Amino acid sequence: MTGWRQIWVVATREVRERGRSRAYLIALALMVVVVVAAIVVPPLLENNDSRNVGLTGRTPAGLATAIEAQGRDVGGAVVRVREFDTVAGGEAAVRSGAVDVLVVDASRLEWQRRADSRLQAVVTGAIQLLTVRDRAAAAGVDPDTLARVLAPVQVGNVELGQVAGRSPGDETAALAMTVLLLMVISTYGGMVLSGVVEEKSSRVVEVLLARLPARKLLAGKITGIGLLGLAQVTVTAVAALVASVLVDSVDLPAVRGAVLAWAVVWFVLGFALYATAFGALGSLASRAEDAQGVAGPATVVLVASYFASFAAIGSPRSGWAQAASYLPVTAPMAMPNRVAMGATSWWEPVVAAAVAVATVGALVRLAGRVYVRAILHTGPTLKLREVWRGRAGGQGAEGQGAEGQGAEGQGAEGQGAEGQGAEGQGAVTSSGVESAGQGSRVVALGAGARRREIAAMVAGVVLAVVVGVITRDVVIGVAVGALLVAAARTGMRHGHR
Amino acid sequence: MLAFEAATKRFGAVNALDDCSFTAAPGRLTGFLGPNGAGKTTAMRSIFGLVALDGGRVCWQGAAITPAERARFGYMPEERGLYPRMRVRDQLVYLAVLSGGSQPAVGRSVDEWLERFELTDRAKDRLEALSHGNQQRVQLIAALVTDPQLLVLDEPFSGLDPIAMANMADVLAERAAAGAAVLFSSHQLDLVEDLCEDVVIVDHGKVVLSGDLTRLRAGVRQRFVEIRYTGAAPPLSGVPGASVVERREGLIRLKLAEDGDVAEVAALAQATGRLLSFSYEPPTLSQLFHQAVGS
Repeated sequence: MTGWRQIWVVATREVRERGRSRAYLIALALMVVVVVAAIVVPPLLENNDSRNVGLTGRTPAGLATAIEAQGRDVGGAVVRVREFDTVAGGEAAVRSGAVDVLVVDASRLEWQRRADSRLQAVVTGAIQLLTVRDRAAAAGVDPDTLARVLAPVQVGNVELGQVAGRSPGDETAALAMTVLLLMVISTYGGMVLSGVVEEKSSRVVEVLLARLPARKLLAGKITGIGLLGLAQVTVTAVAALVASVLVDSVDLPAVRGAVLAWAVVWFVLGFALYATAFGALGSLASRAEDAQGVAGPATVVLVASYFASFAAIGSPRSGWAQAASYLPVTAPMAMPNRVAMGATSWWEPVVAAAVAVATVGALVRLAGRVYVRAILHTGPTLKLREVWRGRAGGQGAEGQGAEGQGAEGQGAEGQGAEGQGAEGQGAVTSSGVESAGQGSRVVALGAGARRREIAAMVAGVVLAVVVGVITRDVVIGVAVGALLVAAARTGMRHGHR
Repeated sequence: MLAFEAATKRFGAVNALDDCSFTAAPGRLTGFLGPNGAGKTTAMRSIFGLVALDGGRVCWQGAAITPAERARFGYMPEERGLYPRMRVRDQLVYLAVLSGGSQPAVGRSVDEWLERFELTDRAKDRLEALSHGNQQRVQLIAALVTDPQLLVLDEPFSGLDPIAMANMADVLAERAAAGAAVLFSSHQLDLVEDLCEDVVIVDHGKVVLSGDLTRLRAGVRQRFVEIRYTGAAPPLSGVPGASVVERREGLIRLKLAEDGDVAEVAALAQATGRLLSFSYEPPTLSQLFHQAVGS
């Protein structure tokens, strides 16, 4: 039997056995429900696109029509206008909520509470328009001449730091992919981890390894579990798409094809990379209780590279952002964001992807070796060092070689106004991670350590955002957040002992 | 023919296999014996590439074992284990397909074996729902289902009740009769003596005795005499070449060297008391074993 067929047989088993497990199906259903609800419910609750405006007192002729027209053209909303005979009558209507704003004498707006800036703009715009036209007529200016005089000058923005054709959708797509990747790695990478430990603790691994090499077993396991993850992402995305089309609430931002393609490529590479690392580390543990402990290093690196990716958006041309986008462990999250920011030449992601593919290949082989050595070992958790010492060096150089790549080109880059942008993204991050936490919590089958870890991760991200906002420096924020996560992890591990 | 050729494996300071050479021939049952820690499990694992040898090699039909051949061999490791939560039939089909079987043929074969071990009605149960004995049977089926030309079993008889033991012995003999080379380790020397044509005895990673059991026994020049009697004990201490191994009330065991005269012993045994039984035999496997490992 060819090696590919064996890999496929292993992958099929993972898909079949896990795919029909109740935990997976419930997690999938829950995810779909949550996402669809998040899209469908707000528009249903809101549904206040039609606004009511009350008029009273001295009102220029045609104001009602002007407000309605302005609402259509500028506000994109339906505005209905009612006239009140007395101010008191109008105010009563505002208080009861029948009318959103009362326009008194075309010079005062009365609100129930705080002014709604959008509606305010519509109403003031209409008043301005009418007033200017009246004054022009009084001054003997012909309305057509006036229209010519007032015709707006088109002033366009050009961002020199950005590539032509870059759309704001690019950034959103890359960001969504980063959050999704963290979620999928923490959930499905965790499955790879526990799957490896399960095979080891049930001793079935010896029966399996007599039939196929460890690297094929691992590759098949990662493929199968990865397909399940992809299935969940796809089902959820399709559900979200259908929901938003039905509700007509979200207009999908235009995304450059290259950005989307790279996001998908890096998603797959990122999963393969981390899942392989989890699998190899998992083989060091003999019991399920030890699994989280051995996966610690990979989790810390994952969280750090997650933070790094947001910093990479903040300053995509800085030297360290470039380094991060080549280093295989951080590249899956850093590179797509740099691509989205238009900060790369075409060959950069190609080179980085080639490095990542080579690393995954090397990692699978290396993991296979760790696997065979560690898998026939029972008892206390093996140390990675012990496994390595067992096989006369020569390994380990692969990771270093790839890291060396990152040190090139120290492109100078002004930090300037980019702090703002990064903060905004930070806010998106924290909510993203929270929902990621929910997703994996369902699958984690009550693994307390896992839950605590996710809590630490969420806390780390929140802290990073807060510190980043206060200090106006993304890097400090990220550093502090990562420190918290690392400290929490260390504390947890000592707690276990 | 499975052949170990000067296989060597060190674990730190321990020689698990030390210039270890022996064969297991097709159509024959080969018992693989040795004290605990002698290197039996390491040797068996090296057949399946689970242990990388430091020196020497393991051959099948005269050449190094290929991955495809290896996948088709049957193997029952010492530490039993399958997926606890996977269904019995799914599990067996999965393992057989991994070994290189095609789906429909594998399915038929699995069903036949389940039928034979009376597990047909448990085919859709999860493995963990089965009794210990039935789990052992499923493990055996996993090793047998591809109809392997080489069957390697590490301690297949440990933990079995007498009936299961007899069934296991039948199955192994049947596979050998069908032409497979069967190599299994065991500490039950009587059972190996009854069952096996060939034995390999290892100690500290070295092969100390190997070959056709009948010939090995015949090849030893010493003979063992056992005399059971009532009344006065026969005066056997003065016979040249004979040394008493064991003496109890009504029983004497003698070791008779090459130059010893069995007729003289027999005459003395008849002369005194009443003779109940007299046996003159080559050494048993157990005696060979103890001699070989020097205990």
